[in-house]
Amino acid sequence: MTVRIEAEVIHLAGRCPAEDADTLLVALQENPARTVELGEAQRLHLAVAQVLLAARAPVRGVPAGDFLARYLLNLLQ
Amino acid sequence: MDELLEHFLVEGRDLVAQAAAAFDVLAREPGNAAAIDGAFRAIHTLKGSVAIFPMGAAERTLHAAEDVLERARKGSAALDAAATAGLIACLDAVDRWIDEMARSGALAGDADRAAAAVIARLPGQASAPVATAAEAVPGWARQLAEGAEGTVVAFRFAPDPDCFFRGDDPLAIVAAIPELLGLDIRPADGSWPSLDLLEPFRCISILEGTSGAALEAVRAAFRLVPDQVELHRIEAAAEAAADPGDPAAATTLRIDAARIDALADGIGELLVAVNALAPLAARAEPLDRALAGAFRAAQANIERSAAELQRSVATVRLVPLAPTLRRLPRMAREIAAALGKPIAFAVSGEGLEVDKQIAEGLFEPLLHLLRNALDHGIEDPAARREAGKPAEGRVTLTAARDGDAVLIELADDGGGIDPARIRQAAVARGLLDADAAAQLTDAAALRLIFAAGFSTARAVTEVSGRGVGMDAVQAAVEKLRGTIAIDSTLGAGTRFRLRFPANALTTPLLVVEVAGDRYGVALDQVVETVRVDAAALLPIGEGTACVLRGRTVPVLSLAQLLGAAERPAASAKLLVTSVGGERVALRVDGFAERIDTVVRPPSGLLAGVPGVSGATVLGDGGVLLVLDLPVLAA
Repeated sequence: MTVRIEAEVIHLAGRCPAEDADTLLVALQENPARTVELGEAQRLHLAVAQVLLAARAPVRGVPAGDFLARYLLNLLQ
Repeated sequence: MDELLEHFLVEGRDLVAQAAAAFDVLAREPGNAAAIDGAFRAIHTLKGSVAIFPMGAAERTLHAAEDVLERARKGSAALDAAATAGLIACLDAVDRWIDEMARSGALAGDADRAAAAVIARLPGQASAPVATAAEAVPGWARQLAEGAEGTVVAFRFAPDPDCFFRGDDPLAIVAAIPELLGLDIRPADGSWPSLDLLEPFRCISILEGTSGAALEAVRAAFRLVPDQVELHRIEAAAEAAADPGDPAAATTLRIDAARIDALADGIGELLVAVNALAPLAARAEPLDRALAGAFRAAQANIERSAAELQRSVATVRLVPLAPTLRRLPRMAREIAAALGKPIAFAVSGEGLEVDKQIAEGLFEPLLHLLRNALDHGIEDPAARREAGKPAEGRVTLTAARDGDAVLIELADDGGGIDPARIRQAAVARGLLDADAAAQLTDAAALRLIFAAGFSTARAVTEVSGRGVGMDAVQAAVEKLRGTIAIDSTLGAGTRFRLRFPANALTTPLLVVEVAGDRYGVALDQVVETVRVDAAALLPIGEGTACVLRGRTVPVLSLAQLLGAAERPAASAKLLVTSVGGERVALRVDGFAERIDTVVRPPSGLLAGVPGVSGATVLGDGGVLLVLDLPVLAA
């Protein structure tokens, strides 16, 4: 699983495909205060990144993927 | 070959085919808006792709064609037949240049002249606007470049809102930009929607940023979406700061074909190894029935999984037939023009997927058959009118799936092949004597055209007379484990039917027993198996024959053909095969099981043995020779 949902935290791990956008969106709609843990994320599909940007969800962790860490993380913080 | 060029060759030919299909529609319905749109998009994208390579002539040609289509799209200038013909000529030229790129990585010296010639055929050339080379740099690009050191390329990428549904990931495209300096993702509408209104699978982002790489390199990263991106090079006096780029990210895995082949080979071996389990279960049976039962259940599971795995790998090897077939219409136009014969060439079924080996090996034989159909099949316009046919010759190529086989037909409405003339020519060339020729059925006589060195053309023409005969076509088809059949009606046309196994990994074999040994026979060489009373075998001359379905069929002893003695038996088991279109029965001692296995081409000592098409390793480690029936029975 590339999306793992816990009570307070949503973990994105590995290569998250477009389908994860829906799962992530539902999880954030249920509880907008959930933090998104990106530490294990290698790659995010733009569909997933869009949800994070639109939700302005709090994020934590530095993505394992180089591209995400260098170019996406600062857009999310 | 350079990987980028390899990409381009595939994509470029794909776009040529898309544009060609649209032009096809436009030739019939000049005002078809969907076709104009389709052609415009394909040409526009193709223009973006060729710009990456030293193909200036192609870029100019496509730009001119795009202008014509753009005006037709806006309704300011309708497309007439001449305009469509001009567009097709442009596309043909580009297609040739793509071939040249494939061959030598560069365009020939006459490309500029050829480009000028095809562009001149387009309507409204005088009024066509000249391409604006340098555009003003817009404000957004300047803003992006602010603070950057040195010359940068600013990009604004507005992906199609539906692109996620096509499996595209704009973020992956951006991640592949070399020397990416900065990235911003903005909402296309100015603000992000609230979560309740957010549609997760609709792309609502615009991606902007800068790169320190050259304009061409950045453009290359966007080569799949050239119409969704704006690029501007912004000069700066300061020195460029080099930044190692993020490694290229791709959503599709491109794998060396050899690795897939190795995988396929491995699975073939696995299937063979699984074959060993059944005899083991049988051996366990008398000792412990429960164990034997459990053994068989396990065997069934392994077999099922192995077969599934084999199907998956076979699917990976499947490629669309389109890249092979779509090159033919242009060839047909060129050949027809050289011969001065008007023709209509239609292709259908290019969406069919076939094993990669077949897709690769099919082009040469098909081109040869097409050349023959246009040169020898289709008559001169005058002769056609005399015969009451339309002056324009019709050639159709269709590809279809037929059960486990792929069927490809090339049909023309030309003069047909005269079996009498074939017989005469074969006798004249010393291929067989007059008596033997007279005894051939018409169907068998037609097959003489596949004999080595046979050609009925009265004059060797520039188009077909290249020293490659129909024997080469047959050899190429057989190499792909295919068969070729001809139907021809004198005066009405000829149809070649090529049949290939859809799944080339394993061959279904029938195991037969002959003189105490077991041999494999490819199931696709077996027309039928029959059991007749020994009394039904009639001595005819020096040989034997029997009557099957009202026809007399020669019967040969497979044991004798293999150098052993025939064992007398009360009933005869016959394996009927087809040799050059004629049925021949081979007598065997018994039919055993059917197996699916990997047949290896003969090597070592076996390589020189006629009638042996290969060998396969059985589950018990034994080797089974696979016989080539038509060769043995010929």
